[in-house]
Amino acid sequence: MENTAKKFTTKKEFFKQYKKKSRLQEIWRSFLKNKLAVVGLVLFALIIIVAIAAPLIANYNNAAIKVNVQGRLSAPNAEHMFGTDEMGRDIFARIVHGARISLVVGLSAVAIALFVGGAFGAIAGFFGGMVDNVIMRCMDVFLCLPDVLLALAIVAAFGTNQLNMTIAIGLSFTPKFSRVVRSAVMTVRGIEYVEAARAIGATNTQIITKHILINCIGPIIVQVTLYVASAILTISALSFIGLGIQAPIPEWGNMLASGRAYMRDHAYIVMAPGLAIFVTILSLNLLGDGLRDALDPRLKQ
Amino acid sequence: MIKYIIKRLLIMIPVVIAVTFVVFTIMYMTPGDPTAIILGNEFSEQASMSLKHDLGLDKPFFIQFINYVANLAQGDFGTSYITRAPVSEQLLARFPSTAKVVVGAMLVCVCLGVPIGVYSGTKPYSLFSNITMVIGLLGVSLPIFWLGLLLILLFSVTLGWLPSSGIDGFASLILPSIALGCNYMANIMRTTRSSMLEVVRQDYIRTAKAKGVSQKNVIRKHALKNAMMPTITVIGMNVGALLGGVVLTETVFSIPGTGRLLVESINKRDTPSVLGCLVIMAVCVAVSNLLVDLIYAYIDPRIKAQYSGGRN
Amino acid sequence: MDIKKVNEKGNTLEIKNLVIHYVSEDEVVKAVNGVDITIASGKTLGLVGETGAGKTTTALSILNLVPDPQGKIISGEVLLEGKNVLTMSDSELEELRGDKVAMIFQDPMTSLNPVLTVGDQIAEGLEIHRKISKGEALKQAKEMLELVGIPAERAGEYPYQFSGGMKQRVVIAIALACSPDLLIADEPTTALDVTIQAQVLILINDLKQKYHMSMLMITHDLGIVAEVCDEVSIVYAGRILEHGTLEDIFDNMRHPYTKGLFGALPDIEVRRTELKPIKGLMPDPTNLPSGCPFHPRCDYAMEVCSKLPPETKWLSDTHCVECHLYKDTNESML
Repeated sequence: MENTAKKFTTKKEFFKQYKKKSRLQEIWRSFLKNKLAVVGLVLFALIIIVAIAAPLIANYNNAAIKVNVQGRLSAPNAEHMFGTDEMGRDIFARIVHGARISLVVGLSAVAIALFVGGAFGAIAGFFGGMVDNVIMRCMDVFLCLPDVLLALAIVAAFGTNQLNMTIAIGLSFTPKFSRVVRSAVMTVRGIEYVEAARAIGATNTQIITKHILINCIGPIIVQVTLYVASAILTISALSFIGLGIQAPIPEWGNMLASGRAYMRDHAYIVMAPGLAIFVTILSLNLLGDGLRDALDPRLKQ
Repeated sequence: MIKYIIKRLLIMIPVVIAVTFVVFTIMYMTPGDPTAIILGNEFSEQASMSLKHDLGLDKPFFIQFINYVANLAQGDFGTSYITRAPVSEQLLARFPSTAKVVVGAMLVCVCLGVPIGVYSGTKPYSLFSNITMVIGLLGVSLPIFWLGLLLILLFSVTLGWLPSSGIDGFASLILPSIALGCNYMANIMRTTRSSMLEVVRQDYIRTAKAKGVSQKNVIRKHALKNAMMPTITVIGMNVGALLGGVVLTETVFSIPGTGRLLVESINKRDTPSVLGCLVIMAVCVAVSNLLVDLIYAYIDPRIKAQYSGGRN
Repeated sequence: MDIKKVNEKGNTLEIKNLVIHYVSEDEVVKAVNGVDITIASGKTLGLVGETGAGKTTTALSILNLVPDPQGKIISGEVLLEGKNVLTMSDSELEELRGDKVAMIFQDPMTSLNPVLTVGDQIAEGLEIHRKISKGEALKQAKEMLELVGIPAERAGEYPYQFSGGMKQRVVIAIALACSPDLLIADEPTTALDVTIQAQVLILINDLKQKYHMSMLMITHDLGIVAEVCDEVSIVYAGRILEHGTLEDIFDNMRHPYTKGLFGALPDIEVRRTELKPIKGLMPDPTNLPSGCPFHPRCDYAMEVCSKLPPETKWLSDTHCVECHLYKDTNESML
């Protein structure tokens, strides 16, 4: 075995051996090692593709919406992969289009929460003191009300349409998000390189953008993923109790609600929509967990 | 210790008032005229005006709010627009059902989730641990309402073992509790497991082993107490989520509880009733947060000491 | 390295050819590579080496507490009063830990359980090994506290209420509660201030004499070795490079590494402009050098050093060294 203690001719060579691969590459590599996480990523990517390509896969008006009383409640067969529902509509087509709605509402709601909550959280975390106290007290008040109920209250007041639901769910996640961003900012704010940056005269804005945000992104992305899952769950839940997306617009939750009456003899009618919700949420949870493990080296044993 | 309890109780009041304010404001902004709903067919301009006056709806926003809170303090939740009966009556009638389901779900969560989590945390590379991780992942992703429907399909329709609706008797509580508790049990299981894993790595566990403490006692006496703290927080945080989920569970299992009352009231635009339900639930969450804090303080000597002034 | 002793009877501890590796997915860390240690009854051995030399792992093996999933004991024996610890059952181990052998760990801040009182933690060992009631154990625990210089009334307090130095005293009280035959002290003063260090060392010394304990003192501080030890073993990359009595090592050191260790100390009498550290870095335990592990950093390295691991050479009854420089030096031992 040869002697591995090399002699270095220049300082540069010496440091080169310690140069790490770019951080992003490292994270990606450890993410890939986690098989479950990769499954989650692939599944979710598939779902997104289905949602985007929905009109290409199944015709909206003919298959998903048009009532066909004669063909109602037929079990899964060659023509209708998941069967038809109580109005004779093709369940498969409805699931595919439902994916669109779930994803659009879910992603937009979280985007709202991210920007509004994130802004509050970042300000609270960065400035600390009185500002922090006031903002956090306000947010704490909201935390006393479970998200579903808060969304319900908003929807109750303003009516059930897609926009309202998006805003309602987005607002109901805002307090939680502000906490996440706040703690990420506070952790990073204390770290020495921020002090160092300040010492060389960087302005507050520079500090926030260059140093703090870059390092907060990790936990925030993890939370975003997990909250999208929650948001999709909430929309389905609200639609299920009739206070969300209304029929005939295909949404997985309201499909379950309307199919429920027929489920005893036609069990398949509640299988597909439920599975759709389950698989979507599962893939996002796997993805979120995988990201969290890949980003936090401490968790590796 | 008593001082701590009282202090926390006192803090709870402004929090509940603040939550009430939020909910009240949201409902206040509901477009539409409540008197139209109440009067229904008997609607006329004059009747509307006098009704508004009776109900105090013509007063400014803040006065209305203060009146509401003042009434709340005396147990008066207002009058339902639809039934014309006091909201508090309905709440009282319906709340026990909700409580039963929530308590049932909590029992499922804690009695199953914690032991499984602890055990798989102590044997991290075993088959059992891997299986629990998988179940945990699946459990967290299962929507309550779908699980409820599936449970009904299996246990009521196919097997005929358990009833699918209603709330009389113990048997009818089983399926709703499982459906509601499932997500949270998975959550608690995962949290407990990772908390145990974290604790077992600590130096003081090594010290205990070096003293000759048996493996069983290392877990029981040394690890558990320390590992429980994050778990208790999660259990506490879950009560809010459970209350959110109970609305769904009551819908699936046709249980006449507060959750269904809330949905019905929203559909009928019965604002006082909606408000009443939301306030009650917020109070429940606040109380459970308080309990969690108290238990925490009891277990963690550092916090206990802060509030009982030093020496034990 | 094979250390033979004239009088084998009454050795509290004998470690023979211990090899321990930490195995993970990506790599194998060769922590301990053939270590021999003997401690006679009532004697104190200092185990000296830099961080990462394998000292703590060796110590943990005496209690058979090497962390299990990664730590694998590849070969060797650890004989505590004649019995091999590595082959004992769990219940036998639980009996001897805390009773026959006790360990003081490095960091007092994390070694105590935050949710149990100090008195309880000391009493626990007593309850287990002396089979006495809780009340009686607590009484004796309070006596232990007094012994280490902490007022007995504080037995009901929690670790967070004590300073670092006092926490370490509590750790010592726990270790000594059942009067073990062998005390292992793993850098007991490293985490403490210099003044507290002195107090703790005096305490350990007093108790050692009072209880006639054997002791394994692990440290990288030669000053502590001089205070407390009878014999010294110098550890490097999981091997013992030199071993001898205090005089052998301090006045008559032979191995280049040992010379380097002493040479790196600032000397009041010899004024120099620069400290003389040993050049290079500790070898990567996943990728140890061939032959003698020290050769890349050795000023006296010869060609044979990178090819063959050196054998043990006995320079006297008590002093031995592992180095090719001394290949032709004299006698073998009886």
